Amino acid sequence: MNMLGNYVEHYTMLSGALFTLGCIGFLVRRNVLVQLMCIELMLNAVNLTLVAFNRLHTGDMNGQVFAFFIIAVAAAEAAVGLAIVLAFYRLKSSVQSDEADQLRH
Amino acid sequence: MQAIEALFPANDYTLLAFIVLLPLLGAGVNGVFGKRLGKEAVSLLALSVIFVSFCLSVVTFLALGHAQEGETAARFYWKGWEWFHLSTQGGGNTTLNVAFSVDALSGTMALIVTGVGFLIHLYSTKYMEEDPGFHRFLTYLNLFIFSMLVLILGDSLPVLFVGWEGVGLCSYLLIGFWFETEANAAAGKKAFVTNRIGDFGLLVAMGLLLYYTGSLDWSGMEGHAKELLTPMQVWPLGSHVPAASLLPHGAEAWLNTPRYVSAATLVGLALFLGCAGKSAQLPLYVWLPDAMAGPTPVSALIHAATMVTAGVYLLCRLSFVMVLSPAAMFVVALVGACTALFAASIAFAQNDIKKVLAYSTVSQLGYMFLGVGVGAFTAGFFHVITHAFFKACMFLGAGSVIHAMHARIHDTDQSQDMRNMGGLRKYMPYTFWTFALSWAAIVGLPGTSGFFSKDEILLKAYTSFVKSPVAGNKLSDGNTTIELFSWPTWAGGLLYAIGLVTALMTAFYMTRLFIGIFFGEFKGWKIVKSWKAPAHGHDEADHGHSHAHEHAVPGQPLEGPTPHESPWQMWLPLAILGGLAAVSGFFNAAPLHITPFDHWLEPVFAKAGEAVQLIEDAEGKVPVFLALAFLAFAGGSGIAYWMYVTQKGEPARKFAEAFPRFHALVFDKWRVDEFYDEFVIGAVDSLAEFFTWGDKWIVDFVLARVSAALVSFSGTALRFIQTGRVQTYAAVMVLGLGAVGWFFVTPKVNATTHADDATGAYTVSAAPGLGYGYRWDLNNDGKWDTEEFGSQTDVSLNLAVKENRTVKLEVKNAFGRTATRSFSFVRPQPDLSGATSRLDLPSIGDGAVHRPTGLVHSLPKAGEAR
Repeated sequence: MNMLGNYVEHYTMLSGALFTLGCIGFLVRRNVLVQLMCIELMLNAVNLTLVAFNRLHTGDMNGQVFAFFIIAVAAAEAAVGLAIVLAFYRLKSSVQSDEADQLRH
Repeated sequence: MQAIEALFPANDYTLLAFIVLLPLLGAGVNGVFGKRLGKEAVSLLALSVIFVSFCLSVVTFLALGHAQEGETAARFYWKGWEWFHLSTQGGGNTTLNVAFSVDALSGTMALIVTGVGFLIHLYSTKYMEEDPGFHRFLTYLNLFIFSMLVLILGDSLPVLFVGWEGVGLCSYLLIGFWFETEANAAAGKKAFVTNRIGDFGLLVAMGLLLYYTGSLDWSGMEGHAKELLTPMQVWPLGSHVPAASLLPHGAEAWLNTPRYVSAATLVGLALFLGCAGKSAQLPLYVWLPDAMAGPTPVSALIHAATMVTAGVYLLCRLSFVMVLSPAAMFVVALVGACTALFAASIAFAQNDIKKVLAYSTVSQLGYMFLGVGVGAFTAGFFHVITHAFFKACMFLGAGSVIHAMHARIHDTDQSQDMRNMGGLRKYMPYTFWTFALSWAAIVGLPGTSGFFSKDEILLKAYTSFVKSPVAGNKLSDGNTTIELFSWPTWAGGLLYAIGLVTALMTAFYMTRLFIGIFFGEFKGWKIVKSWKAPAHGHDEADHGHSHAHEHAVPGQPLEGPTPHESPWQMWLPLAILGGLAAVSGFFNAAPLHITPFDHWLEPVFAKAGEAVQLIEDAEGKVPVFLALAFLAFAGGSGIAYWMYVTQKGEPARKFAEAFPRFHALVFDKWRVDEFYDEFVIGAVDSLAEFFTWGDKWIVDFVLARVSAALVSFSGTALRFIQTGRVQTYAAVMVLGLGAVGWFFVTPKVNATTHADDATGAYTVSAAPGLGYGYRWDLNNDGKWDTEEFGSQTDVSLNLAVKENRTVKLEVKNAFGRTATRSFSFVRPQPDLSGATSRLDLPSIGDGAVHRPTGLVHSLPKAGEAR
């Protein structure tokens, strides 16, 4: 193939590391903006996996096309998420996610 | 006549639709636009639709007379549309049509309803002139005529039932016409609820008739009426009485003994229950006196002339069913006679003129049922007609009197009290003379209508009885044989005696009423000193006009105009009805052998007539009965004349003072209402209280409050694990994902085994899984047969008798993790000694033998995972 060979394992490991980082970041950080970024990180980890596996299927581009779709969805999600963050900030003057606990009542 | 017969053939007699629907048109237009049309237009429309309906009824009547030549019954039929289909017992199908038919019986009744109805409409336009609800009143009256015509002309029981409920509704609306007074609304409700009890009976009768005859229209039922002559088990209702086994043996056996009556008897009694409700017979008569709370024309039209006679009409209509049961007929006759006597006794002590007339109506209805009960359908129905004339006339006359009195006294109770009247003969000559004619009819002055119709009923009560519908008086359906009731020999004497005493009493109290209103001095210049407001709750129903003033103070002189004669719209109907009351007896004057009416109805009652028998020498007794009837009239009215004119009412006062408690008892109508309040309504109230308790404590408390508390408590408890923070939920989600992941990573060895001990063929099938590989150890050597994991999921073995084999299976999944499990098989000794010896096989206690088929789940043993 090419200089990188067919070592999909490397990409999947990187992707797993990125996903784990995003996941942990989402769970431990309280800043909503950082959490949004962590979500983006997880999405991109998934994108990486898709593109990597697509190398095994030489005939088609499904994996890469999927990655584009995910990028588009992620953009929309970021727009909505930031709008929510903005509205939340106007309400609470804060972007700490643990202050958004009104739904339990 | 030819033109009418050509236009309206007998099987498609469209004219019936016009007769029935015109009053509905009047009710519809007046009900919707009445307020805007104005009183003149409303009166004109209401009167003209009834008048046209009346004219068409006359045409129909004449056409019927033309068609009914000879002995055959003429019947005109009109089918509106198909109503519904019914599937009956034995796969039969019945189609029910909205159809109307008219024959001699219903044609006559339609004449009475539209004719008397028109006169009362005319009267009402003046009587109710000042009432703000004028258009509403005429709407209800038109609707009533429509419902009554549906009742009479309907060709089947369900259509009749629509009219039956319709007249009940109109009765309710008109009794409570002045609903601003609560007592009036309560009287309407009482009438409605009491009638429901009767309607239950009618519905039961309808169901039974459909079950046995497979039809609900007149001709269909008549054709199959004989099918009702079959025993029917009425007890116990199921296979046995529940909880009867707790009783001593004798009582249990007695309770569980099946009891049978003839189906005809049950149908007859159920029908009579319906008629007793509508026609105010014992024990359901209580609503009719209270119904006097309605305006007086209503009392005349609905509660004297037409609706209350619907029960008599129904029994006449279904005479072919009634005569099949001598027992039911005896009950009808006896209840009728007792009602006549009982109601007459109450009328003795009443001072409210409408109350006296109401009890007199109940009493006269009792006569009609007495006549019908002994099988004298023509006599009973003839009394319906004469009673419609003279009682409507009396009620309208009473209305005219009240109209005049009310102008002076302005109080409904006081203006209806005969102690405030007297001497009105001078002021109201037309009312007096017409009232005199109807008085003569009801007390039985020879030659008047009441004399002939009542005398005929009394005569038939003694001479006529219903004979057994089957030979030998035994009824059998092959399995069960029952003996039918047969009329006792003393029945005629008893019924006649009650009837004659009632005739005497009727003459007395009617004369008392007549004298009290029209003779002596006018006492209404001031209210009688002893007058006091009625004390009992149900008496409050007497309150009439919505604008009833406070009771005038007793003893004080009253300002107000002298009583005056009513306008022509009111006395003209009186004159017509009074004239008819006087002469209509000659339609059926049996003693004079002038009986066109009898002849006219003969075809209708032909079938029923076969079942009725006269005692020997009935004809010879006629002069004796005539003499006795005359004596009852002369005695009753003579005593009343002596008591109230000669002695100025002294004997009555003395009697009341001598037996104050007895007088109070009769004055309070034998306290039947109080009895019902205590026991019937009390029982319903207790039941309602019981269910209120259940509703409050079981539904509202246990089901609602306790379960709500449970939900609320568990909500409070569960809220502790809900932080509301997004990270917590995300963490739980990650944990859940982890658990799902672990589930996929762990291999599972699920396998199905199949054992056939007889041939020694055993199989193991391992379940598939994601990326699973399998390796086996089939030969008991403890080593894997192949080192590599393959795709073989099914293995089969062949074992010799008594051979042991342990099969091991290892599964490896895509993540390289493995799980192991083993299966042990033993092939038992073949069964040589038959089926029983299988039980003697040594049981394998370790549970390792799998037979014959089973799904084995097993988690990998600890430490086996690699």
